[in-house]
Amino acid sequence: MIPPLGLETAMPRLACLAVPLFPLAARLRSEPELTREALAILEGNGQAARVVASTRAARAAGVRPGLSLPQARALCPKLAVRTRDGTCERAAQEALLEIADGFSPRVEDAGDGVAYIDLGSLDRRYPGAAGEVSLGRDLAQAGEARSLPVRVGIASSKLAARVAAGLPGSPVIVPAGEEALFLAPLPLARLAPHLEISGTLERWGLSSIGDFARLAPAEVASRLGRTGSDLHAIARGLDARPLVPREPPPSFEEGMSLEWPLASLEPFLFVGRAALERLCRRLEGAGLACLRLELDLGLEPEGHLRRAIDLPAPTRDAKTLLALLRLDLEAHPPGAPVVGFLVRAHPDRPREAQLSLLGPAALSPDRLATTLARLFALLGAERVGSPSPVDRHRPEASALVAFAPPPPPDVRPAPHGGRGLLGVRVLRPPLSIEVLTGGDRPAAETPLEVRPVLRDDGERRPEIRGSVRVASGPWALEDGWWTDDPADREYWDVELAGGGVYRLFRDRRTGDWFADGIYD
Amino acid sequence: MLHAVRSAEIDLPAFPPPARTALPEALRARVRSAREIGRRREREPLPTGVPALDRLLEGGLPRGELVEVLGARSSGRLSLVLDVLAAATAAGESAALVDLGDHLDPSQAAAAGCDLARLLWVRPQKVEHALAAVEMLLGAGFQLVVVDLGLPPVRGGRGIEAGWLRLARAADAQGAALLVSAPYRASGTAAAAVLELDRGPVHWLRSGSALLGGLGGFLTLEKRRGGATGRHAGISWRTAESPLAPPLPEPCGEGVDFDLRARASA
Repeated sequence: MIPPLGLETAMPRLACLAVPLFPLAARLRSEPELTREALAILEGNGQAARVVASTRAARAAGVRPGLSLPQARALCPKLAVRTRDGTCERAAQEALLEIADGFSPRVEDAGDGVAYIDLGSLDRRYPGAAGEVSLGRDLAQAGEARSLPVRVGIASSKLAARVAAGLPGSPVIVPAGEEALFLAPLPLARLAPHLEISGTLERWGLSSIGDFARLAPAEVASRLGRTGSDLHAIARGLDARPLVPREPPPSFEEGMSLEWPLASLEPFLFVGRAALERLCRRLEGAGLACLRLELDLGLEPEGHLRRAIDLPAPTRDAKTLLALLRLDLEAHPPGAPVVGFLVRAHPDRPREAQLSLLGPAALSPDRLATTLARLFALLGAERVGSPSPVDRHRPEASALVAFAPPPPPDVRPAPHGGRGLLGVRVLRPPLSIEVLTGGDRPAAETPLEVRPVLRDDGERRPEIRGSVRVASGPWALEDGWWTDDPADREYWDVELAGGGVYRLFRDRRTGDWFADGIYD
Repeated sequence: MLHAVRSAEIDLPAFPPPARTALPEALRARVRSAREIGRRREREPLPTGVPALDRLLEGGLPRGELVEVLGARSSGRLSLVLDVLAAATAAGESAALVDLGDHLDPSQAAAAGCDLARLLWVRPQKVEHALAAVEMLLGAGFQLVVVDLGLPPVRGGRGIEAGWLRLARAADAQGAALLVSAPYRASGTAAAAVLELDRGPVHWLRSGSALLGGLGGFLTLEKRRGGATGRHAGISWRTAESPLAPPLPEPCGEGVDFDLRARASA
């Protein structure tokens, strides 16, 4: 009979999320097309490499953990092989923790495909034993949605929950207070596989956790010290190890090592798209969006390339991020084959807006952010934004600022008419023209001739040609005389006989004529 | 045995007065009964701030439709675009200008009354990019998207007609007003309305040396899907320096309607 301690009611309920064959599951999450193939994950280098996990098809052919690659290939000639990938496994572990975060704020990262959740705050949503079964199913479903085969065990001690998560028939629920009975038949190696103390216990003639739990606590403490006393409590279902909540990471990462170097962009974008889609699903699950995207490329034979893309507003649209990535890599090619990559999203809260009942509809911040990012990808950041006047005298000067419209008014104002001001189509850059003047100082009555200066650069430009009907001017413009690019111009407004009113200027330093605007 | 019960036999209470009447006037127009929900939502046109244009289009730019304005150089096409943008942004709407020719002067837009913070300026370099950008902007929920194709030759040609039809459908789906300003017909059959701006007289002030005072133009409704065409109206624009502020009152209510007989002699 295992002596009770009377502390069972004080033990918090825990759920353990465990991903079986974690190195394999992490790899299949990145390469789901290999799920039905005979695949083995190897750890180690060269001849020392050993199989650590294999798919169902490979196991059916006899590929078991511990085999070397030649042994595995002898059993299964078509065996696909991947090495353990730390990048994949880190991303999969983070995805597992984010699944847990979706259920409770207190989550412990136990590493290697294992996470613990404190169920203390979930008893209202999942009350009683039936609620725990329902919770276990929800956790498993959330894992499937993230391409992770999650098994769930629920108990009042970490060890019992971990063992339960490893059993078939997930979720496995260990009723509160029955942890000791649940653990009793297990071999002692499950209690502390990494400690020599299990060897000592076996020499005492103990073979199971239950045998160990039946010993008197004081006798165990006097012979095995603090470590033995703690293990004894765990064997009795009283796991004193506290749950250590994790700090959410500052960024979200996805990536993988590539089996062969990629030298061109399209194959890389193919694998990069899958990583970005996984990243965006994780961001969506956390209620966040990407504000800055970083790409870390591992190059062959050595070296790294790191690129960073700042987005105009947070977005979690994978297509947009991929387009931005494509444009950035086209502009800055890595210069060497790529053997691995990591995409890192720095998250931010998606922009939200309060809808107005009576005023004009506000733009959805999320859709706007995605649209702006797609426009950036299509046209470049320098071609999208809010126009902003520049404190210069040159008419062609302009600037763009980030488009961030203020919230619309609560009540739609009454429409009113425009100001009826005449606009000028600015010609950027100013169009080089030839002006034939009738004298040194052209006047309105002086016959002028405006002709285009043809340039052989392949671009078709608006053509300005004709005799001047009315000329008005000159007006002097001097700007930036203190800079390397000063402007010293003499402006004229001219109406050509064929129609059209133009704004021309003569560069007083060179004497050349230009048209920089059309009144329209 | 089942007995059919006639409604007349049931002592129904008096139907309550419509609760809508108790609402403030601004709210009343936006509340619909359950019976009205299934009906196609009436789309109020978007006032343009250009009285002549509002008259021809019967209230403003129709939401959910593509309207094309054609005009040669110095016809006032850009000024009309600026006034449309100014009216929309002043009403609190976010608007987008797809400026294929990169012709916008931000300081002039501000002077015309545009709220620049509500204006998204997109400067594509090809007509294909312009069409793609317009589709994105409509999808984002902009209630007014203006495409200015600039001066001839338009970079990239007119664009394929299927692209314009796609944009017209996108505008319809979003209930947005789509205005295309082009030097010649570009949108083909996708346009629900086509207006042509003809160049009018140029006003030169001759107090000493000549000074540009403004431009006049004639706006003609060339096409209106489901409506009458051929109507026209005069329109005018003045320079900021022009002492000819009148007869354009502030804010500009009714523009100057030129005597259309002058058109023949111009």
